[in-house]
Amino acid sequence: MTGYPLYLLTRLGQFALVIFIGINIAFVVTHATPIDPVEQSIAASTQFGSINPEAVEMMRQSLKELYGLQGGLWDQYVTFWRRIAAGDFGPSLSAFPTPVSILIGRALPWTVALLVISTLLTWVLGNLLGGLAGYYRRNRALRFAGILAMAFHPIPYYIVAFLLLIVFGYLWPILPISGGYTMNMEQDWSAEFILSLLRHGLLPVASLALVGLGGWFMGMRSLVSNVVTEDYVAYAELAGVERSRILRSYVMRNALVPQVTGLAISLGSIFNGAIITEQVFGYPGVGTLLISAVHAGDYSLVLGITTVSIIAVSFAVLLIDLAYPLLDPRVKAR
Amino acid sequence: MRLWRAVVALAVVLWPLGAVAQGTISDLPRKETLIVENPEGTIKNAGWFNIWAINAGSQSNGLQQLGMDTFWYIDPQKGVDGVWDNSLAAEKPIYNADFTEMTVKLRKGIFWSDGVEFTADDVLYTIQTHMKTNGLRWSAPVQINVAEVSAPDPQTVVFKLKKPNSRFHALFTVRWNAMWMMPKHVFEKVPDITKFDNNPPVTLGAYTLKSFDPNGKWYIWQKRDDWKRTTVARFGEPGPKYVAYIDPGPPDKRVIAQMNHELDIIHDTSPEGMFKLAKDSPSSHGWFKGFPYAHPDPTLPAVLLNAENPMFQNRDVRWALALLIDIKAVSLASYRGAATISAIAIPPTGAGPEYYHEPLEAWLKAFELDTGKQKIKPYDPTIGKQIADMLRPSLKDQIPTDAADIAKAFGRGWWKPNPQAATELLQRAGYTKKGDKWYMPDGKPFTIHVTVEGDLRPVMTRAGSMVAQQWRQFGIDASTVVAQGSMFDRRQAGDYEAMISWSVETWGGHPDLAYFLDSWHSQFVAPPGKPQPARNWQRWSNPELDKIIEDTRKIGFDDPKGVELGRDYVKLMVREMPIIPLMSYNVFTVMDETYWTGYPNAATAPYTDPVPNWGNTKYMMVKLKPKQ
Amino acid sequence: MRSFLALLKSNRQFASGVVLLALVAGFACLSFFSPYPPNDSFVVPPDLPPSPEYWFGTTSRGQELFWLLTFAIRNTLVFGIVVAVLSRLLALLIGLVAGYAGGWVDRLLMSINDTFIVIPLFPILVLFYFVLKDHMSWGLLALMMAFLGWSYDARLIRSVALSLRHREFTETGIFSGMSTRQILVEEHLPYVLPIVFSTTMNNINWSIGLEVTLSVLGFTDINTPTIGVMIYWANQHTALVAGIWWWIFFPVLLVVMTFIGLFLLAVSMNEYIDPRSRLGRSER
Repeated sequence: MTGYPLYLLTRLGQFALVIFIGINIAFVVTHATPIDPVEQSIAASTQFGSINPEAVEMMRQSLKELYGLQGGLWDQYVTFWRRIAAGDFGPSLSAFPTPVSILIGRALPWTVALLVISTLLTWVLGNLLGGLAGYYRRNRALRFAGILAMAFHPIPYYIVAFLLLIVFGYLWPILPISGGYTMNMEQDWSAEFILSLLRHGLLPVASLALVGLGGWFMGMRSLVSNVVTEDYVAYAELAGVERSRILRSYVMRNALVPQVTGLAISLGSIFNGAIITEQVFGYPGVGTLLISAVHAGDYSLVLGITTVSIIAVSFAVLLIDLAYPLLDPRVKAR
Repeated sequence: MRLWRAVVALAVVLWPLGAVAQGTISDLPRKETLIVENPEGTIKNAGWFNIWAINAGSQSNGLQQLGMDTFWYIDPQKGVDGVWDNSLAAEKPIYNADFTEMTVKLRKGIFWSDGVEFTADDVLYTIQTHMKTNGLRWSAPVQINVAEVSAPDPQTVVFKLKKPNSRFHALFTVRWNAMWMMPKHVFEKVPDITKFDNNPPVTLGAYTLKSFDPNGKWYIWQKRDDWKRTTVARFGEPGPKYVAYIDPGPPDKRVIAQMNHELDIIHDTSPEGMFKLAKDSPSSHGWFKGFPYAHPDPTLPAVLLNAENPMFQNRDVRWALALLIDIKAVSLASYRGAATISAIAIPPTGAGPEYYHEPLEAWLKAFELDTGKQKIKPYDPTIGKQIADMLRPSLKDQIPTDAADIAKAFGRGWWKPNPQAATELLQRAGYTKKGDKWYMPDGKPFTIHVTVEGDLRPVMTRAGSMVAQQWRQFGIDASTVVAQGSMFDRRQAGDYEAMISWSVETWGGHPDLAYFLDSWHSQFVAPPGKPQPARNWQRWSNPELDKIIEDTRKIGFDDPKGVELGRDYVKLMVREMPIIPLMSYNVFTVMDETYWTGYPNAATAPYTDPVPNWGNTKYMMVKLKPKQ
Repeated sequence: MRSFLALLKSNRQFASGVVLLALVAGFACLSFFSPYPPNDSFVVPPDLPPSPEYWFGTTSRGQELFWLLTFAIRNTLVFGIVVAVLSRLLALLIGLVAGYAGGWVDRLLMSINDTFIVIPLFPILVLFYFVLKDHMSWGLLALMMAFLGWSYDARLIRSVALSLRHREFTETGIFSGMSTRQILVEEHLPYVLPIVFSTTMNNINWSIGLEVTLSVLGFTDINTPTIGVMIYWANQHTALVAGIWWWIFFPVLLVVMTFIGLFLLAVSMNEYIDPRSRLGRSER
């Protein structure tokens, strides 16, 4: 077996290995947390009420039993892999006995929709503008767009998001500032519901795009300026090929290759959620779930979310690697 | 330029999204709806309403305030009809002479929301289920206390206790919450109660669940048509037809939401957020009409000193640290002056001042501290007034002038900073100063880490930073440590040196201290390294204190002797200073009168605390009236 | 040195980049002359807007923003640079070697690399915060982020190196007896340096951004003033809603200045390093 099939096989092996190592690291790190989910539950349920100290010890024992935390780390490790094999993450420890997969399942669609849309939008706009700006260096409007993208890029995301919220939710209150859709509305895909979704999603997407644009813009701009100096572009120009065609077929196409890698990894890593976006705009998603799971010492849930993320990113990386020899013929499959 | 055309086109497409007005709530009249903040935030496990399972879902999403009920309520303020309310019970608890039996008489004519009558059977079921099921929220206290429960008739329940317990009724007496009653006819059909989500819940309160967000951002409750068959009906009809409990986001967003009139009750915000609302939102008001606005909760933030740490084991050191704190600066840094200070270990709120602060004022003034070189009277009774005077130039007539009003809003006196006395006390304890740094008796630098909770309790974090700064300026190497999210663990594990937290919490409206004090008995102090059960987080024990606790156990809840014992406790705490009391936990609950009136307030309607995650909120509902 | 001066004169972008960065660096150096220790609060009246007396205004904690900011920007700059330099070295080493060597070396290195790419950063950092507790300092955070922040760029560098491997000059180099080290340093390094420069900037931006995110959520050491910690405190005092805009504006302004300075520098340096780029520019 040689050539592409061999490449495919080794690459698949590597993929499995990376996931295995990644999940193991995540397991070790999540279980190293000093936060004990049992103590968190006890604290949460005794912090306001009157409770006898003797009762607390009893509660501790029965919770340990209930959560199934009595075995050692090794037992938990074995259980964990056994569950993964069955496609399950077990019950959440901070929302016992609800399964982790249900909690993730409720939050994930929001995260995926928000981040896929904003990532794609940002990527397309950023690369388009960046490519144009790299090629037509003298264009005023492009320069201005560049400056704008650059100026927003380094502002801490939290500030940008919050300013948008103040402008459109308070000074000029035309958009909702909290939630993913209007309260008490049926999630029934009616026109009203979709409009509500759009209205609630507008500010989160806009904030992510404003900050994210600059990165792609700069990356593409510098890539294009590199490609522009390649001989084949110079030849094409000498041969009198139309400018816009050079840009499209010669320059952009080649410059895009690394950007596609970036896109794939960005798309893969969305499964961590956009924590600050969710916090500022009160948008549903995995990020809030993750933070609250970390706070509650709910390692089942943390591990569930990180595992999903690890698999997604690995998969994205795999796809890119498999597609690479096809995109850039200079790279021999090996 | 094509680019600009694209931008314009995009704007044209997006414009209608903003222009089409959609209300905050779909399909419900805003005028009939009360919108309240649920401080639990986004609820991870939104569809879970089995409140008897530990920590599985939300409690203060309306479930315990509007849906639950139990025997008695004690109000942290004055109460609608007195501090004590017989809710599901018809009268107060009836104990036998040696406190081994408690009888409860139940009210007649109370119905579950599905039309089934509430009877002693439900109580029996609730208690017996907790006796035989481990891992429910109240399993442990029931199993420890109850030997047997019986119902001689449908309106009477008799508890036989395993050992004498004069405060057994506290288990069923709502302060923030208490053990709620289960609907037998629903739960008896469930095979495993710990795995039952109880969705939708059958309620005893005047409301039922209408709808909720699967992602846990909001819950909407609807008034029962048969609200007359619930316990609050004695006080009239609840005003709001619908009540929405929402997650409005961080403190600044709560302010924005109320300015937009989309949030009627803010549970808590930052002092600055409160000031902003007081200034720019005429329809918003707090518990106090003017400064300090906030509701003082019956909770006492203090500097907890870990008694298991050798550096705090000498009383002189603890007192020295207290004398280095300038409470005025702490009040300014934490609450911007909007704090209600307390020198004694009783929250200065509800019944506290009447039973403890006022009567003990003379004793405090006369209290003498011997530093070995001099005798000082550390108590300065004018500090509350000084804070008021300090704020008056900038806040003008918002600051009361009447001495009684000042005492109520800002507190009375506190310890006067006295670095000289602190130096003498530390030296007597064997601490030495070299250069401008202090060293412990073993020669190591005197270093104190003050643990604070960070983002989750911004005001307490600021107080801790100020206390650390003051100690640092005296030559102690003090700094803050943020235990964001791990505060509970570290407090329970004793993994801290000093901490801004609270180990004193009272009923508020009632002077009995057993609520927290019973757990301070030396029998419950955990050995180092083992988790400490609530609430003696400082792990301090003292034979005199044990005696006070044991004496309290022998007398009834309303026995006047209890207050005497409580004052003994206060004096002991002053002498020993195991924790340094700072102030009450002031909650910036802000109420917007755009749609509703009749909220509680300190001056004219102190019928309950406005803080909306308390079970007592059910009494607020009957007082609320739509704004005409 | 002479070329630096020449660049300064001839290249406007380079000059303004240098000026911007010099301003920020100079400002950071002022921290050594601050009249107040950075952690003391209520040393000046709180909430004062910028004025001749307090140039940048005062915070709600009664600190003079000007002096506080000198500490914050200094710590943030050092933080960003430490993360960037360490992670660049790792990325270059691993990327170039993997791309050039190929075969099992490449596969091994890329497996390690990919593991770092796929491990979600944020939960790991937050969990480290919990594990380290009181020992969490920004120095440690910088080390950790450098250790976690190289993989993406290593992959980028490797992909460029991979395509360079098949270029003629590499083959020529090998035939003319150059050592691996020589080929990597002399032939391949100049090609990847532009990427390194632009990723440095991105990396600094990334690390500062992540530091701010962690701080806003309260997962850093709040006793060391940084830009993130400043925003944390401003946030605790709801500064934006309370109208204390200067508490946010000036830190953000400095971050933007730093970033634009770095950007201009990176762009002009790229042009300088890559001679063909300089030639090509004149036509357009």
